[in-house]
Amino acid sequence: MPLTDIAVALQIGLTYFTIIYLTGLGGLYSERSGIVNIGLEGLMIIGTVTGAWGARYFTETVGLGNVWGPILGLLVGAGCGLLFAGVHAIATITFRVDHIVSGVVINLVAIGLARFLSQAFFGQATQSDPGGPHLNPIDIPLLSSLPWGLGRAFQGLSPVVIFAFLMVFPVWYSLNRTRWGLRLRSCGENPEAARSLGVRVALYRYQGVMLSGAFAGLAGAFLAAEIIGNWHEGQTLGLGFISLAALILSNWNPVRLMFFAWLFGFAQAIPLRLNDAPVINLLPPQFINMIPFVVTIVAIAGFVGRVRPPAAAGRAYEGGGSS
Amino acid sequence: MASGEVAPPVAAPRIRSEWIERFGGQMLALVASLAIALAIGSLLIVGYGESPITVYGAILRSSLGDLDGFGYVLAIATPLIFSALAVAVCFKAGLFNIGVEGQYLVAMVTAAWAAVTLDFLPGPVHVVVILVAAMLGGMIWAAIPGILKVKTGAHEVVTTIMLNGIAISLLAWAIRSPLKFTSGPTGQNVDIRTDNFPDSALIGDMGKMFGIGPGAHLSWLFPLGIAAAIVVWFLLRRTRLGYEARAVGTSQGSAKAGGISIGSTQLRLFLISGALAGLVGMQQILATTGYLGSNYVAQLGFTGIAVAFLGQNNPIGIVFAAILWGILSRGEVALQIKTQVPREFIIILQGILIMSVVITYQIAKRRLAARQLQRAGAAGALEDSAPTVEPEVATQGES
Repeated sequence: MPLTDIAVALQIGLTYFTIIYLTGLGGLYSERSGIVNIGLEGLMIIGTVTGAWGARYFTETVGLGNVWGPILGLLVGAGCGLLFAGVHAIATITFRVDHIVSGVVINLVAIGLARFLSQAFFGQATQSDPGGPHLNPIDIPLLSSLPWGLGRAFQGLSPVVIFAFLMVFPVWYSLNRTRWGLRLRSCGENPEAARSLGVRVALYRYQGVMLSGAFAGLAGAFLAAEIIGNWHEGQTLGLGFISLAALILSNWNPVRLMFFAWLFGFAQAIPLRLNDAPVINLLPPQFINMIPFVVTIVAIAGFVGRVRPPAAAGRAYEGGGSS
Repeated sequence: MASGEVAPPVAAPRIRSEWIERFGGQMLALVASLAIALAIGSLLIVGYGESPITVYGAILRSSLGDLDGFGYVLAIATPLIFSALAVAVCFKAGLFNIGVEGQYLVAMVTAAWAAVTLDFLPGPVHVVVILVAAMLGGMIWAAIPGILKVKTGAHEVVTTIMLNGIAISLLAWAIRSPLKFTSGPTGQNVDIRTDNFPDSALIGDMGKMFGIGPGAHLSWLFPLGIAAAIVVWFLLRRTRLGYEARAVGTSQGSAKAGGISIGSTQLRLFLISGALAGLVGMQQILATTGYLGSNYVAQLGFTGIAVAFLGQNNPIGIVFAAILWGILSRGEVALQIKTQVPREFIIILQGILIMSVVITYQIAKRRLAARQLQRAGAAGALEDSAPTVEPEVATQGES
């Protein structure tokens, strides 16, 4: 098996990494603030349909060209994800609906809302026309000229991939080195204590949840507009849940999340490019798709080290909201 | 909700008035959320330049206007009854089985296996064997989070989400490899699916008896669903397990002190839930299509969660909630044909309905709890009237 195949698989893996990592970062902000968010899949779905529309609208209808059009498309996806996450925030924070219930509803409604929006945007309910505008792919300097075909892994990547890699710095810094991050985390660990120190718990939790929508929406827009080139129903393929798995395994840490997002991203690429490699060809591709979920179950059952979520995540907080 | 502000003097009637208050509160919340959903829906309809009366009228006429329409409604409701019951059984003990989705997918695989390979069995026996295979499939898939929860404390929400993901791949593999069709067309664009099931595996059309057309695919699974609801009601209200489930769901500490084995209760509930979940897919493969293909209807497990909440986790309420869901879903076709409103409007309406139900129930529950607390204070009693907010028990971050 030539190295080029591995390189191509790596390149596809980087694409999936971007989706999983961005969505996972969203979940990270939400859960660190104390709101469990299993609606990531739904938020991502909203990002796909609105992002695909936004890229097309700003590039072709408004005529902003092939740089600003796709960028605005990504921002539309992020913005709509943020707004839709507002539903989860209002339900869980203001009305103290159970986080899991609200998350399930978010995922359910997103499927219908996406069809509804698609009907309005594209005149058809389950897909848009293929070949939408996207940012010009770039080659990463130095890495893309690696020998033996390995450079292929770093050629033709969307700029968003690099953006996702760089996000680790601001996210880590904002959580660990700013007053805002400390307060956000305190809302997730011990809201009573946070409140007694004058932190407005509800406000921070709103911010955490809305940020999760923005990140998941961005990831969805990236998937639909940048990678596939159009929207079609079911294109998220459970990646929101894989992001959740990566987030849990990372112990809610943005740096470790990077590793697991890459691992699971690469796992997604294996059946696509490496299914005739030795050992792997013995396994049906569907079994490789199970890997992230199996690993997470094993980890959550405590067989490999400890997984510890933010202490107050999932718990309604009585003090901070209205009434 | 509006009854007695003042504490009644004797204890006995107070219990009754609380019961009425709770029931009344739930009904009020249900009516309020229906009204909210219909009102928001009306705004959307007006946005499309239609009259809400026309649109809602079209929905009702298509689903309740004639027998055929109602047959469709009941056929849509059938899998949702099983799915919502599966959710409700676990929920009584504060367990959140969001794995019904995966459980019914696995059950469809085991059922399809039984349907294809055990074709030598005579008619009714074959169907029963398939249903048992489906229930076993669901139970196996539900046993995993159950055992993990009891043995390792792994949170069932996380494990069931992951098991859902595995189940999707498992089904995809099953219909491509071991269960792939052996006869029939071959080529590039052929549906990936199992062989057609033999006639002995199919569940008879019940609609014929009532003059409902075969297009509705109304099957004997619907009465089975009602029977299941009654059994679950009996189980939760009139048996020891039901009592233990409620005790565990209300307060694990008290349940333990009362000598209830929490782990065994949780595991048994998971198994019952899995058995019910196993029947979710049967309407689809045994009554509608007659095979298991890659175009199977997904999301029934998640929709079941919505229906369970709409029915307030009460088995009888769930039957009505599933029918209400069916009425709305059936309306999709009518919208398409008779109005300018796109059919996807129904899914939005269902979404708004379930969101407002969840929120208004939550508000009602809090007000009721506050009132009980107030009344307990007024009576000077030190009784334990802490609000039993079930979902919060379910997800306390212990995973």
